Formats: sequence, structure tokens, C-alpha cells
Amino acid sequence: MILALQQAAPQFFDLTPGSLDILGGWLVCFFTLAVFSFLYRDNPFYKTAEHAFVGLGTAYYTLQYWKEGIWEPVVEYMEERSADMDAGELYSLGGMDIEPWLAISLRIIPLLLGLMLLWRLFSPNSWAPRWPLAIMVGVYAALKMTGETQSKLVVLLAEAMTPLTDPTKVGWAEWSNIEQWDVFFTFSKIVFFVGLFCALGHFLFTYKRTPLLAGVSRIGVITLMITFGSMFGFTVLGRIALLIERVDALEGYSAPAYSLVDAPPPGTDPGFLNAALSPPFIIGGIIVLLLAIGAISRRGKSTA
Amino acid sequence: MAAIHDFDRRWIFLAMGVLVTTLYTLGSEKALTNSEYVDSYYATIEALPEGSVVMLSADFDPASAAELLPAYTATIHHLLKRNLKVVNVATWPPAPPYTREEFYRIAPMYGAEYGTDWTAMGFLPGDDVAMGNIGQSLRSAYPKDDVDGTEYDNLPLMAGLGDNMEGVDLLITMSAGYPGILEWIAQVGGRYETPILAATTAVQTPDLFAFYPNQCVGFLGAATGATRYLQLIDELTDGAVEEVKLENQKRMMVQSWAHMLIILLIVVGNLIYFFGAKGKQGAKA
Repeated sequence: MILALQQAAPQFFDLTPGSLDILGGWLVCFFTLAVFSFLYRDNPFYKTAEHAFVGLGTAYYTLQYWKEGIWEPVVEYMEERSADMDAGELYSLGGMDIEPWLAISLRIIPLLLGLMLLWRLFSPNSWAPRWPLAIMVGVYAALKMTGETQSKLVVLLAEAMTPLTDPTKVGWAEWSNIEQWDVFFTFSKIVFFVGLFCALGHFLFTYKRTPLLAGVSRIGVITLMITFGSMFGFTVLGRIALLIERVDALEGYSAPAYSLVDAPPPGTDPGFLNAALSPPFIIGGIIVLLLAIGAISRRGKSTA
Repeated sequence: MAAIHDFDRRWIFLAMGVLVTTLYTLGSEKALTNSEYVDSYYATIEALPEGSVVMLSADFDPASAAELLPAYTATIHHLLKRNLKVVNVATWPPAPPYTREEFYRIAPMYGAEYGTDWTAMGFLPGDDVAMGNIGQSLRSAYPKDDVDGTEYDNLPLMAGLGDNMEGVDLLITMSAGYPGILEWIAQVGGRYETPILAATTAVQTPDLFAFYPNQCVGFLGAATGATRYLQLIDELTDGAVEEVKLENQKRMMVQSWAHMLIILLIVVGNLIYFFGAKGKQGAKA
């Protein structure tokens, strides 16, 4: 998408935010096509892309967590509070003005708990990591229990108990105006209720499976299958969108500005040679050629 | 029949690749009809008075940018065009570069200034705990911004905000998974009165229907939702998103045909399965 929005001609190497460069274009095409080559079979191009992805991803995430999780909240924080202490200023924490030494002491507690967590590396059976772990589990459980119970249980249960008629519509009296019928609303509410009731009935294991319960369970299974089918449909939708975006990117990098041949004057036809010497075609051609040579050599070995 | 059972699935990949590439190169745009969820997303932003503060959370990464970046771009255009103030946060590490890139490009179009009209507070580690922290106190969650380390109180936009989401009129998340819209609803929606909007990936969209409209006021489901939204704001933004809209409409046309191919393959696969099973039963008898 950024390709479509970029107005100026790309430079060979440019790290300005929001701009793309020629070197980056070639790399994008190589990694995209290298990953796609896995659809044929596992190969060195795919392996290269996979290792680069894992390496770069790890490096990026490590730096982000180092900056946001250690450097700023620990190192910089301590330095700034020490400066406050030297200047004789108070520090505002949670709406209260406190002495900087107290702020430092309070920050040392989580730091110590973090170090205790790492103690497992030196002594696997030590008691030290259990304390921070217990605190983490407790805090997380409390956070989850309050917020999630409210949003995913209480509110949803209340919403399941709604009237069968739509209060925003006039109702059955207005037969002449089809826009005001609420028959579809009522029908969807009945389907929802039957589906919910039967899906819950399917998971009722404490009673003997009578024919009635088996029937309810059967409808519940059909409801669940329709739900899973819908979810699968959405998943396919997402995957196709990703493929189209990659094709869009490759098409963008086949523009004359990225080609090995000099870009023609604006308004003139770039010609076949210009497109053929653009990153997607050159890199795609090389990958296909080398994979074909590999396949032929393997076939030669297997027949020998 | 045995030959069909031994059919190499790579032919299907190739067919899909050829179909998508050909249609994308030769095809034209396809306009979509409106949707209740997208209309509600649009109407909620439109209903905010000028100068309201919106928290925009970028909870996505490059793997989901194909689906969420068009929605993100469109939302930024809409917010800035309406003179709303935007506080940018992120709970996914790779998201902040997208925020900076998009705002550096779009903000000058509407004369929006950093610090007064928009801020970029950056990534906060901790997933749902971080979200709870942001809701509780933006000041303690983000002592400095993500651009050049400016102190919280030196950013005029931030200085006007209080604890417990005080001063934040709307929360919008670009949600690719965990943590995302469901965690925002649990940690912020369930505790404060702030309404929530979302743009989601296709995989996450089915989860959201249950939360609409009470806990999530409106949402853009996948690239389809983003395209519908771009159609809605095109006129409002004086054609600033025209190019992105046309590109997305073209993608929708390709997507429709790709789905037709998948449906065809599912039907053919099932026919082969059922006729194959019948053939085997006949052979046993």
C-alpha cells in the first residue's frame, strides 16, 4: 500500500520513515518469493528466508523488550530519581508526592523478584523462583477474573436474555412497510436461543443420554459445526487477503523505478525489457531456474 | 479414481497463484455494499465533538499489516480530518514504526501538530496487564513518549488526561490477536465508561460478533470491513484516501474470485469423496 502512496522516485538506500528504497525492494521480492518457493518443496531459498526471519525477529523483539522493559524502567528511572534526590525534589507516584529514595526502593522490589526468577538458571530446584512466580500467577488470575468475568460471562449472559421483539422497530402492525417488520429479528433470536440451548445441552454429561437429550445434543453439534465452518471461512478470507497483498507488493516492485534498466521518461511506455529486468521477474526466474536444476539433478541421481 | 486421489496438491497452489496474479494485473475495482458494523464504526467517530481525545492502539505486526494497515490509515485520516486528538499506544512490539510512519505522512495533510494534536507513546510490555495499567494511569504507564523521550507532562495533549481513562472519549484498537480487542474489552471496557471500536483480522472477526454493540460499538472485520470504511470516508477526506480505496476495491474483486475457486474445489473434493466411498462399498459387495 505504501508503494501506491509513494510519490517521489525511490533512492538506492533510504531509511527515512515512510519511504521505500531500491535495495529494500529487491530484498522484499527475494524473501517473498523464497517463502513462496516452499509450496514446491523445502529448499535453500526458503531456509535462508526462514533463518533471516527468525534472526531479525528475535533481534527486534529483544531490543524492544530491553528498551521498554529494562533500560527505561530500571536504568533511566534510577538515574532520574537520583538526580531528583540531588536536587531535593519530590517524585509523584500514583498521585502522591514521595521522596525519591522511596521511589527507588519501591522499584528495587520488582527488580529483585525478576532476578529471583532467573535464579532457576543456577539452581533448578531452588525456592527463589517460586515466590515471583506465585505473585505473577496471583496477579494475573485476579486481573483475568475480574475483567474477563465481567465482559465474557456477566454481560454476555445478560445479552442472551433479551426479548424476542426488536424495541427499535414499530412492529407487526405496520404490514404495509416491509422495512418495519421485525419478523427476521424475532426469527434470528429464536435461532440464537435454540442454538445456545442445544450447544450447552451437548456438554451436559451428568445425566443419562435419553432420546430427548440426544436430540438436543445433535442440534447442538450442528450449531457448533456451523460456527466452526464460519470461523474457517473467515480464516480462509484472511489468508487470501495476505496472498493478494503480496501479489500487490510484487506488482509494485515491477515498476520501472526498481528495474535494472534506466526508467524511461514519464508518460512513455517502459517496454517489456524494463519489466523483465525488475526484481520480481529476475529473482523469480533465478529461483525457478535453480530449483529446476536441483530437480533434474535429483532425478538423475535416483535413476542412476 | 486412484489418479484423482493421488492428485498433487501443488497444482492447487499454482492455480490459486495464477488466478490471483492474473486477476490483480488485469482486473478492475469492485465497490462493496454497506455493513451495519462498519456504519456504526463510522458513526461513532462522526458523533464525537471536535477536540475529543481518542486513544488509538496499534496491536498488530507485519504479518497482519496486510489486513489492518488499510483500516489504520483510513482511521487516522478520519480522526485528523475531524480535528480529534489522537493518543497512540501499542501492545505489540513491531507496531510503533507503523504509527510513526503513518502519522508523519498523514498528519501534515491536516495540519496536525505533534504533542498537541497527536502523540506516540510507543510499545508497553505486559499484554493484558499493560492494558490494565494504561487504563488505570497513562502517566505511570508512559512516563515518556516514543518519539524523542519527551516527558509526559511536557506533552500538552497528555497533560490534560487523568487516571482511569479520564479525558479519553473513545478507544480504537487495530487488533490482530492476543493481546487485542478482547483484552481491551476485559481490561478497559468492563471497568470504565470508554466506548471501544476495533478493526480486526479475519481470523478474529467471528469472536467479536458476540460483543457487538454493547461492548464493542462498531468494528471493521478484515480487509472487507476496511474497504467498506474507505468507501464511507472517501468523500469526507476530499479524496485523500482515494488511491488506497481503489486498491482495496481491486483486492476485493480478486478475493471474490479466489473464494469462488475455493468453493469449487470444496464441492469437487466432496463429490470425489462421496462417489469414491460409494465405489468402494460397491466393490466390497
